[in-house]
Amino acid sequence: MQISIENLSHAYGSVEVLSDINLTFEPGEIAVIIGPSGCGKSTLLRLMGGLEEPNQGASYLAGDVPDGCLNPLTYIFQDFALLPWRSVAGNISLVLEDHNLSKSQSEAIIADVLDRTNLSEFHDALPRQLSGGMKQRVAIARALAVRPAFLLMDEPLSALDSQTRELLMDDLVDLWARERFSACYVTHNLSEAVRLGHKVIVLSRRPGKVRGVVDIRMPLEERRERAAELEDVQQKLWQMMREEALAADRELANV
Amino acid sequence: MSDLLEPAETAQVKRQKVPFRGGGFKPRPIRFVAPLVFLALILFWELGSQTGVISNLVLPAPSEAYRAFVELFQSGLLWKHVSTSLYRLVFGWSIGTALGIMVGLLIGLFSLARASLLPLTSAFFPIPKIALLPLFIIWFGIGEGSKVATILFGTFFPTVIATYGGVDNVERGLIRMGQSFGMSWLSIVRKIILPGALPAILSGARISASIAIILLVAAEMIGAEYGIGAYVLMAGSLFATDQLIVGVAMLSVLGLCVSWLIGRAEKALLNWRG
Amino acid sequence: MTVRSILSGVLMGAAVMTGTFATTVSAAEKITVGALRFTSHAANFVAFEKGYFKDAGLDVEFKFFQAAQPMALAIASGDVDFGLTAISGGLISLADKGAIKVIGGALQEEDGVDGQIILASKAAFDAGLKTPADLAGKSFGVTTAGSSFHYMAHKIADKEGFDRKDIKIRPLQKVGAVIGALKSGQIDAWSIVPHIAKGLVASPQVEMIGKVSDYVPNYQVTTVFTSTKNTSDNPELVKTFLDAYSKGAADFNAALVDQSAGDTAAEDMVKLIHKYVYADRPFEKAAPSIRNGAMRLNAQAALNMTSVEDQLNWFKSEKLVPAGVTLDKLVDARFVETF
Repeated sequence: MQISIENLSHAYGSVEVLSDINLTFEPGEIAVIIGPSGCGKSTLLRLMGGLEEPNQGASYLAGDVPDGCLNPLTYIFQDFALLPWRSVAGNISLVLEDHNLSKSQSEAIIADVLDRTNLSEFHDALPRQLSGGMKQRVAIARALAVRPAFLLMDEPLSALDSQTRELLMDDLVDLWARERFSACYVTHNLSEAVRLGHKVIVLSRRPGKVRGVVDIRMPLEERRERAAELEDVQQKLWQMMREEALAADRELANV
Repeated sequence: MSDLLEPAETAQVKRQKVPFRGGGFKPRPIRFVAPLVFLALILFWELGSQTGVISNLVLPAPSEAYRAFVELFQSGLLWKHVSTSLYRLVFGWSIGTALGIMVGLLIGLFSLARASLLPLTSAFFPIPKIALLPLFIIWFGIGEGSKVATILFGTFFPTVIATYGGVDNVERGLIRMGQSFGMSWLSIVRKIILPGALPAILSGARISASIAIILLVAAEMIGAEYGIGAYVLMAGSLFATDQLIVGVAMLSVLGLCVSWLIGRAEKALLNWRG
Repeated sequence: MTVRSILSGVLMGAAVMTGTFATTVSAAEKITVGALRFTSHAANFVAFEKGYFKDAGLDVEFKFFQAAQPMALAIASGDVDFGLTAISGGLISLADKGAIKVIGGALQEEDGVDGQIILASKAAFDAGLKTPADLAGKSFGVTTAGSSFHYMAHKIADKEGFDRKDIKIRPLQKVGAVIGALKSGQIDAWSIVPHIAKGLVASPQVEMIGKVSDYVPNYQVTTVFTSTKNTSDNPELVKTFLDAYSKGAADFNAALVDQSAGDTAAEDMVKLIHKYVYADRPFEKAAPSIRNGAMRLNAQAALNMTSVEDQLNWFKSEKLVPAGVTLDKLVDARFVETF
């Protein structure tokens, strides 16, 4: 399945956040959107997934929904969004409960996604007992449980410390290697972008426009070992972002 | 500068341990103090009464109050008073709380309900229910109706306010998560908003239960033959201060029991908070 | 009981008694008299207005109360020296604790003078409550348990020969609440002083079904009382007060009860009382109520001991007061004639 964004513009009141965005997201790829803070990249993600309505333009889905998919566009949030009163299994079961699955079916799905994310032993743990990294793994497991066509990931690693971030990046790379999921990944962190992105879309500062798209051909699995070779790409992206970030930083907050 | 020139010597002369400046400001629970204070107070009180420092007219001795309690117990009326009051409390409080949660949810979820009901709630909440007692008598009669209604009205408004505040404070991120997974509206309300508002609803219940006990005396002012409130009122009008103390102590114990029960409910329902 | 012991108790924070405590009272001293704005308290007003108190060397200051109960407490605490009240459970309890004593009679039911009236709601009347004998199984409004209303209800039951429990007593705390409940038919019956009763009978919702005097002959409705301290430390003052008070009572009886003093005297008396009672109403409206409320005040503050004893026994039989209270504890009979 493919997502295409056409002529999309959006404003909050008189403040224009996104202006005339045209993008296509291909299946089986991780597309990373980066940009200075406040450039509207998270807003773009919410507009893509139908959590907000754009003022102009629209995003479209093309192609068939894969078999067994319960929720084609599935988010992973920066703050994990786990219900604190439900166990790990309960949080995953939450998103299955509205789909008329039998008890054994949903139990099987839960066991399967916990296994795939190495969380089986945390089946009954409560969110407060988990570290930030484990919480985000649970959120990823929950997202996988609905067999999404596209994962919409909103700065999923930003709330974590840098060591945990490294570990989770490895996990995501492994997961992609096995499952070839499609994702749109929003971040402001360049090293995440070059580690995870098949293509990196750079947004300008507000109002967000597409400043450029950089394809990275190197297979994800090899990127950790060949980090030095990615330095050039990272520098290139940084050059694109630097002026925008500098200008954005000097802007007076008026929103 | 001289410090730097002759460090060893100066250090020797001025050497002293860094004084500890932290600590304090951290009350911790000490067991047995509460009952000891309580016991000491009663002992002091009894002693004062026995020696005549505290006149019997001003305050009856605890032993006298105890005797009045034993008399009440032996007369068989104790259970009658307690059960009558409990019935009114449980009935009035549960209906008031249930209605309060419903209206609080409406206010929390629907703009129209918020615009229409919230000002009404704010207007009615501060009205002392005792002031409305004469009207309650006309509306609900001098039987159980007006008594239950007094407690019901007293518990309804704090519950409404606690509930809609709780709904407002449910993390928007969780609701957005529910929507992003395509959960139905009803599922989001049942599985995300209600449990999320539960801590606020329970602390509201703690307050409304205390209000219910406070209102018990007012509720039993009218035409009540039995009930702890009626007992207290009768003791007051007969100037039977020993019975008055017994009645007040029963209300206080009732309050402790209710608070303990709600504490248990909080432990059971909110164990996820840790 | 000393002032000091009460004071120390008050400092314990247990009571709501405020104000200064009277130091030893001697004749020609300032005294405080507690009063309710009722016609039954008129003797005090008359004695004050006509200077009987002043003549006796008493500098009287009135302190007005909304109900008898706080007045009894104020006398117990020493804030007020003398007062009038019905014999209630609260009063007996205070006497039992050694704080107050009844020293004379005030208001009494008497044949030939309009007394308290037994009322029924229209609904109950239509349903067959035509005489007090029909009160069995009916509800009867009282202010509080142990109030005079409660006593009257039981005296009716005793005389009519049915069980006291057959009258369902409904405590409603305030006279206003009882009136409301009677008018709306939520209680079946009540008994009350004539000036209130006559007003109610005039309305379509209330009917008269009997007179209290048929059930409680020579009912000593209210009494004069003071603190035990006054009776023991200062009997002269008590005597002086009662004498001056009695002059006021005699004038009142002559003007409004016996009406032997002539119309002008009656008119003047109503005017005098109107300064204190129903002062918020215009005179034309207040006058009939004052006239209707005129019941016999005991001459020379004589006290009907038989009635007082009957009341005390009733309180004891209902276990509303401790069983150990004796008539001696309640009444100090040294000051007035008793019968």
